[in-house]
Amino acid sequence: MAAATSLTTPKLSSPTLQSLYRNFPIAIPFYSSFLFLPKTLSSIPPRRLSLSPSHLHRRLFTVRSDSDNGAEPARRYDFDLFTIGAGSGGVRASRFAANFGASVAICELPFSTISSETTGGVGGTCVLRGCVPKKLLVYSSKYSHEFEESNGFGWKYEIEPKHDWSTLMANKNAELQRLTGIYKNILKNANVTLIEGRGKIVDPHTVDVDGKIYSARHILISVGGRPFIPEIPGSEYAIDSDAALDLPSKPEKIAIVGGGYIALEFAGIFNGLKSEVHVFIRQKKVLRGFDEEIRDFVAEQMSLRGIEFHTEEPPQAIIKAADGSLSLKTNKGTVEGFSHIMFATGRRPNTTNLGLETVGVKMDKNGAIEVDEYSRTSVPSIWAVGDVTDRVNLTPVALMEGGALAKSLFLNEPTKPDYRAIPSAVFSQPPIGQVGLTEEQAIKAYGDIDIFTADFRPLKATLSGLPDRVFMKLIVCAKTDKVLGLHMCGEDAPEIVQGFAVAVKAGLKKADFDATVGIHPTAAEELVTMRTPTRKVRADLRSEGTTDHEVKATAGV
Amino acid sequence: MARKMLIDGELNQSNEQESHYDFDLFVIGAGSGGVRASRFSANYGAKVAICELPFHPISSEVVGGVGGTCVLRGCVPKKILVYGASFGGDIEDARNYGWEINEKVEFNWKKLLQKKTDEITRLNGIYKRLLSNAGVKLLEGEGKVVGPNEVEVTQLDGTKLSYSAKHILISTGNRAQRPNIPGQELAITSDEALSLEDMPKRAVVLGGGYIAVEFASIWRGMGATVDLVFRKELPLRGFDDEMRAVVARNLEGRGINLHPRTTLTQLIKTEDGIKVSTDHGEEFLADVVLFATGRAPYTKRLNLETAGVELDSTGAIKVDEYSRTNIPSIWAVGDVTNRMNLTPVALMEGTCFAKTVFGGQPCKPDYRDVPSAVFSIPPLSVVGLSEEQAIEQAKNDILVFTSTFNPMKNTISGRQEKTVMKLVVDAETDKVLGASMCGPDAPEIIQGIAVALKCGATKAQLDSTVGIHPSTAEEFVTMRSLTRRITAGSKPKTNL
Repeated sequence: MAAATSLTTPKLSSPTLQSLYRNFPIAIPFYSSFLFLPKTLSSIPPRRLSLSPSHLHRRLFTVRSDSDNGAEPARRYDFDLFTIGAGSGGVRASRFAANFGASVAICELPFSTISSETTGGVGGTCVLRGCVPKKLLVYSSKYSHEFEESNGFGWKYEIEPKHDWSTLMANKNAELQRLTGIYKNILKNANVTLIEGRGKIVDPHTVDVDGKIYSARHILISVGGRPFIPEIPGSEYAIDSDAALDLPSKPEKIAIVGGGYIALEFAGIFNGLKSEVHVFIRQKKVLRGFDEEIRDFVAEQMSLRGIEFHTEEPPQAIIKAADGSLSLKTNKGTVEGFSHIMFATGRRPNTTNLGLETVGVKMDKNGAIEVDEYSRTSVPSIWAVGDVTDRVNLTPVALMEGGALAKSLFLNEPTKPDYRAIPSAVFSQPPIGQVGLTEEQAIKAYGDIDIFTADFRPLKATLSGLPDRVFMKLIVCAKTDKVLGLHMCGEDAPEIVQGFAVAVKAGLKKADFDATVGIHPTAAEELVTMRTPTRKVRADLRSEGTTDHEVKATAGV
Repeated sequence: MARKMLIDGELNQSNEQESHYDFDLFVIGAGSGGVRASRFSANYGAKVAICELPFHPISSEVVGGVGGTCVLRGCVPKKILVYGASFGGDIEDARNYGWEINEKVEFNWKKLLQKKTDEITRLNGIYKRLLSNAGVKLLEGEGKVVGPNEVEVTQLDGTKLSYSAKHILISTGNRAQRPNIPGQELAITSDEALSLEDMPKRAVVLGGGYIAVEFASIWRGMGATVDLVFRKELPLRGFDDEMRAVVARNLEGRGINLHPRTTLTQLIKTEDGIKVSTDHGEEFLADVVLFATGRAPYTKRLNLETAGVELDSTGAIKVDEYSRTNIPSIWAVGDVTNRMNLTPVALMEGTCFAKTVFGGQPCKPDYRDVPSAVFSIPPLSVVGLSEEQAIEQAKNDILVFTSTFNPMKNTISGRQEKTVMKLVVDAETDKVLGASMCGPDAPEIIQGIAVALKCGATKAQLDSTVGIHPSTAEEFVTMRSLTRRITAGSKPKTNL
């Protein structure tokens, strides 16, 4: 599926597919595939012969790419590909495989907003319990900030706008239902057989779905990950992100444990909806792994919006009081009076009870499936993509892995996903967008780097009077002038960074950025008008830098 | 101060000859281009003076202000009003997201206008400080060219001062034009529109350019009834036709009444407002009629004819690729040259001028792939060629990729407004020739795409970039299916 944004439109289900058909015209006569590859026949279930010639035409690649299996005696399978888990990676791989001519089945648990051993839903984490509902809640919660801003622009509300949680939940759930329906349609239109139930691997070519047995030449595992809550006393009172996206009522006062992107996103959501929000993190700073300056900046901006951060304060126990309220006991004391305590303490691959141990699929110590560069597991006919492999856990990466796998298996184009310069976003408020290396990574890898930063008050904030700022950073290789990393925290950061990600991925230089004319007045133009390095980092000596602040204050003129 | 002059022959000149000028550079007009050129020239070691009329939000022959059109009467105040107007749509959208908003939401135009004026006054001050920090001497008054190396500044009190300068730079920008129809004096231009006493309840906007659609969006967002009258079939002539149609649809969707193929014939003052008549026999009453019918270079009062500086038929100063006029010591940058009338382009021209004349690095502004934006609500942003331009210039087949979708935010807000994105690609080289988008955040999204385009990015490079999910921008890197292919040698279709 392309982005879920586009999924929300009919264009995806129809024009995309239409064009796919257009792309595979019925050009080669039906019988030619017999001539080229008689072996094909033995591997096609007889019923497939009645299908369109274009299917057969595509199938010839199926077999070619199957050289490993070509050695074994021809065997008939119910399907060329059986996918377990209909999330982003699984649906993409299945659809593409089917478009390339494979016969494909996919199994998925019944729909529910909360995932469990028995519930899931077509669409997976991204659509049902991640990116999409999260972003919808971010949209909703952002309005309170917008109302505040609007006061500075002359708007006045006779009564302060109040938020009704149940309206939001109802509209959000209606949208999720619609999306899961669209996903099902997409599968159907691509001729992928959808089987509802829990898939379990029986042997390298066999999957059991609630007692029914299916054979497949290839099995793909794309069951994703699940929120993980550490065992501490009272952890049964905690909620995870699944539950937080579908609460019956809005938290009055919530503790969020964790400093990763999920924690920050929910902190922003509940803060925007006027809950009292406390974030408890084990480390000194939020967002481990991100650029240090971004980590500092986002925490400061979020604090200014009213979120209270408790740093170096890991939780030890949750205590439920007689009135039903919750207390969080930490190494530093106890904070009382929470209506909710949410753990955003990481996610784990969802590999239990899949039969993996029995067939010998290797996993790492976290339960992630180990795969090679083509997403192949230790069992040659079993493959895995997406969060279950714990590589880079992002929807577009799962899509890339799924697309690459379908190409490798059924298009005779062995394709490795490319993990260089993957951009990503945190939908905190303000949000973060980034691509490429952090300053710390760049120093390690390249030694001599130039850092360009801008930290400015955007035009909107000068009018609204709010303390909102924007931070941007370019990390440039001193020797080659290549832009190694780009980081931004501030309004529209994710939208802004996408285009720059193309530039970073293409290996463009700082001089190329400078040669680009700005779009005025935007925030993004700052990234092409950073003239003076803030500092130069040299392996042999730490040199100083100048700042450009006065210039930034004047919209770059 | 080590000063380098690389203009022909000057290196041979002796220091005495150099020093008989009051200034190395005298700049007339302290807008984006002029301020940039002055500052950078001063940074290269030149002795620089700049003159500008006294500050006023509305420009005239006697008032202007440091900062120029962009800061005082263009980009900045316009964007402030667009922000203000966008909240109107946001408030509507918030309801389905669970926000209970009392019907009584008030918008206070006077408050916004005051804050806008405060902000541009602040920026005017910052600009002055920028100049003084760079060591540029600021003179208040009207500058005129007297000779190839001589400028006369008429001060507020009428006294005239004369200065000599080795180089003169003209950066006086342009001014709104008015069509000559009966009652035209009843209408306003964008200058006044940015400083109206009262918010119009009924506005008629004449023109189909970006200024027209921006003001139509501003007033509509604030709740006014808006009629947009333009000569062509679609607004925004010069932009990609398909995108123009999208903008037209979106303006209509936001409640603006469009009157294509129409012009105004007369304005009459009545008790109920201005009676506006069109050439189709329609009549409407308006509180405000805005003429957004183009801008003309501001060269009239500069005495250029006497000085022998050549102008084109529109009054624009003719310059070579280095921004030099036919008089070797006189240069011009920005809108007064009517090349590409955008602030960042004036900045680029100003920078190149300073580099060429005082930096010892002859430097031509590069007009390829200059991105731009129209801050309509929702906005349009483009970089590179439109489909029509691509077809016209094509040696190879052209591939067009489009994506029309309902942005995620609308799924809950219920707003019926499609976002449209478009890529125009050379089928042979795979180079992306043009990118455009109409939808929320388009200008912010296009900036990064512009870097890629400027550097000759291929469609394959866009495709190989991983998306940021969920964003609107990710559509630009996930446009897999071809919308249409246009064979080389085709004629672009119409003139809408």
